Amino acid sequence: MIEFKQVSKQYTEQLALDDLNLTIPTGDFFVLVGPSGSGKTTTLKMLNRLIEPTDGDIYFDNQRLIDYELRDLRLQMGYVLQNIALFPNLTIQENIAIQAESLGWPRKERVARARALLEQVDLDPDQYATRMPSELSGGEQQRVGIIRALAIKPKVVLMDEPFSALDPLSRKQLQDLVLQLHRELKMTFVFVTHDMHEALRLGQHIAVMRLGHIQQIGTGEEIIHHPANEFVRGFFENEQTPRPTTVQVLVDQGRGAATTMAATLPVTATVNDLAAALKQGPVVIGTASGNRTLTTADLLDYLAQTEVE
Amino acid sequence: MQQIWHILHTQGGEIVQSIGQHIGLSLISLLIAAVIAIPLAIILMNHQRLAKVMLQITSILQTIPSLALLGILIPLVGIGTVPSIIALVIYAVMPIFQNTYSGLTTIDPSLEEAATAFGLSRRMKLLRIELPLAMPMIISGIRIAMVMIIGTATLAALIGAGGLGTYILLGIETNNNALLIIGAVLSAILALVFGAGIDWLGRLTFKKAGIVLATLVVLIGGFAGYRQVTNSQTTLTVAGKLGSEPEILINMYKDLIEHDHPNIKVNTKANFGATSFLFKALQSGSIDIYPEFTGTVLESLVKTKQSASHSPAKTYQLAKSALKSQYQMAYLKPMAYQNGYDLAVTRQFAKKYHVKTISDLIQVENRVHAGFDPDFNQQKDGYPGLRQAYGLKFASIKTMEPSIRYKAIANGKVNLVDGYTTDPEVQAYHLVVLKDDRNFFPPYQGAPLMSEKLLTDHPELRTTLNKLAGKVTTTDMQKMNYQVSVKHQKAAVVARDYLRSHGLLD
Repeated sequence: MIEFKQVSKQYTEQLALDDLNLTIPTGDFFVLVGPSGSGKTTTLKMLNRLIEPTDGDIYFDNQRLIDYELRDLRLQMGYVLQNIALFPNLTIQENIAIQAESLGWPRKERVARARALLEQVDLDPDQYATRMPSELSGGEQQRVGIIRALAIKPKVVLMDEPFSALDPLSRKQLQDLVLQLHRELKMTFVFVTHDMHEALRLGQHIAVMRLGHIQQIGTGEEIIHHPANEFVRGFFENEQTPRPTTVQVLVDQGRGAATTMAATLPVTATVNDLAAALKQGPVVIGTASGNRTLTTADLLDYLAQTEVE
Repeated sequence: MQQIWHILHTQGGEIVQSIGQHIGLSLISLLIAAVIAIPLAIILMNHQRLAKVMLQITSILQTIPSLALLGILIPLVGIGTVPSIIALVIYAVMPIFQNTYSGLTTIDPSLEEAATAFGLSRRMKLLRIELPLAMPMIISGIRIAMVMIIGTATLAALIGAGGLGTYILLGIETNNNALLIIGAVLSAILALVFGAGIDWLGRLTFKKAGIVLATLVVLIGGFAGYRQVTNSQTTLTVAGKLGSEPEILINMYKDLIEHDHPNIKVNTKANFGATSFLFKALQSGSIDIYPEFTGTVLESLVKTKQSASHSPAKTYQLAKSALKSQYQMAYLKPMAYQNGYDLAVTRQFAKKYHVKTISDLIQVENRVHAGFDPDFNQQKDGYPGLRQAYGLKFASIKTMEPSIRYKAIANGKVNLVDGYTTDPEVQAYHLVVLKDDRNFFPPYQGAPLMSEKLLTDHPELRTTLNKLAGKVTTTDMQKMNYQVSVKHQKAAVVARDYLRSHGLLD
C-alpha cells in the first residue's frame, strides 16, 4: 500500500503539489490523469524518489520512503519512461535484465528471465534478444520498455505517459498488453496519462489532478456519473455522451421520408450495416419518433456534404 | 630517392631505434594523459563550475609554445625522456579531458533518469551506461591527442630523448632533404598506424579495451623498470649539439672514459637542438659533460666586458676563468682544430692566382665574386670586420642561404665563399681554405665542459679527456665530418677509428 500524507512540492517559482493526500491499495491499477502542469508526473516521480517532497510524508508498506535505503527502494520498483529510454549501447536482453544485473543475478538467470518476458509480449527471443534497440520499431521498443520494468518482479510498476508518443494502433495494443500483464502479475501499477480515454480504459482507480490539487479519486464509473466539480465534468464530458452513430445523424437531420413500414435496421446500426442493407434497396430505420425510409441517394448526399465540411 | 635508400640501408638500425623511441615516448605520454584526463573528467562531470576552471587551465597549458615548455622543464627535471613526456602529457590532457567531459555530460537526460530510477549503483551506471555512451567522444579525444603527441614528440630530439625528430632536425640543419623526408614520412606513418589502432580499440567492448590498455601499461612499465634496474651502475651522460661533429666528439669521450675507467658507463646523447638547452642541462646536472667552443662561451654563455681576443690561447683562458667564477664549471684544454669562420676558394682559383692566405686576395680582389651567408655579410666578426682588417674590397657579393653557398661555388656562380673551418663540403667540393694570416677571425676551439664537482668526484677524468688536448686538427675534423654526414658512416665507428689510428686507444 502507498500513502501520500499532506505532501507538497514547492519549486522556487511555483507550488507544484499542494497538500496531497492519496492512498493506492496494493495490487491496484491506479491512474493519475490531468492536463499538463497538474502535478501528476511529479507525484509519480516522488514514489521512486527522483523528486523529493518539500513537505509531508509518503509511506510504502507502512514505512516512510525516506527511511528506505535509496537503492533498495528503487530496486523494488519498475519504471517505464515516456520516451522509452532503452540504453542504446546494450542489447535488448541486457536492457531487460539491467535491474537484475544490478541485483547481482547470475547471468544464466538473467538471460532466462529476459527471454521469458520477450515471449510473454510476443517478441520471439531468438530474433530479438541480441538485437540493439535501434533495430526495433517504436511499438516494439516500448514493449521492451515495459517488460524491462517487470524483470525483477517489482512490487510496484511506475509508468510515466508511456504511450503518448505512439500511433493509435500500437497504443491500443499496448494498453491491452498492460491490462493483461496487470491481471497476470498482480503487481501495483501506477500509471500517468493526460488522456482521459486511456485513464478510463486502464484504471481501477483514477485520480483526476489539476494545478497541484486532486479534484476527485474514484472508479471510472463514479467519476463519469458523479463528477465532483465542473472541471471533472468538463474533462470527461465527451465520455458521458458518446458520439452519435452516422445512422442516428442521418435520421436527426431529417433525411429520407417518414414511413409506417416495419423497421429493417435499428438506429444504432453502423454505417457499414446501412451500406450493406442499401444494396437490396431502401432501408427502414426504426426510431422512437417514428420510422424513416433511407435510400442510397440519402447516404451519398450526406457523405458529399461532410466532404465539403 | 637514391640517397634515401642509401641512408635507410646504412642507418637502418638507428632509424628503427628512433621509431622505437618515438613510439615509446608517444605511447607512454598518451597513456599518462588518458589516465589523468579521463578520471578527472569523471570526477568533475557533476561539478560544472570546477570542470570549467579545469578546462580553462588545460587550454592555457596548451598555448605554451613547446620549445618554451621544454626550456622551462630542463632546470626542473633535467633532459631526456622525463621532460619530453611531461611536456607531451601537458599537451595531450586538454583534448582528452574536454572530449571525455562533454561526452559524459551530453548523455540523453532520460537515459540518465532511467539508470537512476532503476537503482543502478554509481559504479555500474558509470561503467555500464555512461562511459560506453561517451566512448566515441573519448576515443576521438584520444585520437586528437595522439596526432598532436606524435607531431610534438619530434621536438623531444632537441633535449636528448631521441625519436624521429633527430632526423628532421638533422635534415634541416644540414640541408639534407633525404633525412628530413625519412623523419617526416615515418612520423606521418606512425600517426596513421596509431590512428587505426585507436579506432580498433574504440570498436572493442569496454572490457576488452581495458584489457588491451592494461597490458600496454604493464609492458611499458615493466620495460622501464627493467631499464632502471640494469642502469644501476655509475653512469655519466655526455651530450652534444646537433650535427656530426659533436657526435663524433662525444663518442671519443665515451671511448676514452670507458677504456680508462671500466667502472664508469657513459651514455651519449647526441643532437641537442640548442646551446642553451645543453648549458641548462649541464647546470641542472642532468648531463655531465659536453663539448663547447671557446668562442661560443665568450659570446653567449658568460658575461664578460673584454672583447673576444683573436688569440686562441687567450680566448680559452678568458672562457675558462669566466666559467669557473660565474658557474663553477671546469673547462678542460681544447683540441687543435678550430671551427670558426673561414674563406674558401676552388682549387683552380687558388692555383691560377697563387692564393694561399687572405692577404693574397688583395691583388686579385677585382676578380673575386663572393657568396656569403647573410649573417657573415653583416656581423662585425664577418665581412665588414674582414674588410677593415685586410683592406679588401671584392668585385661582387651575393648573400645566400648557408647550405647553398657550396653548391654555388661548385657550379661556378661565385668563386669565393665563407664557411666553417670543419665543414665537410670543403673536402667534398675540393675547396681550399685560405689562411687567416692576420688572425682576424675569433677562435672557436672545442673543449670538454663539465661541473667542477664532477672533477672533484672523478679527478681521473681530467687526465683521460686531456689526451685529446691539442689533438684533432682541422683537416682531421673535416675528414671525419665528411665520413659521417656525407658518407653516412656511424659517428661511433669514425670516432673509434681516429682514436685507434692515433694511438689513443688500443
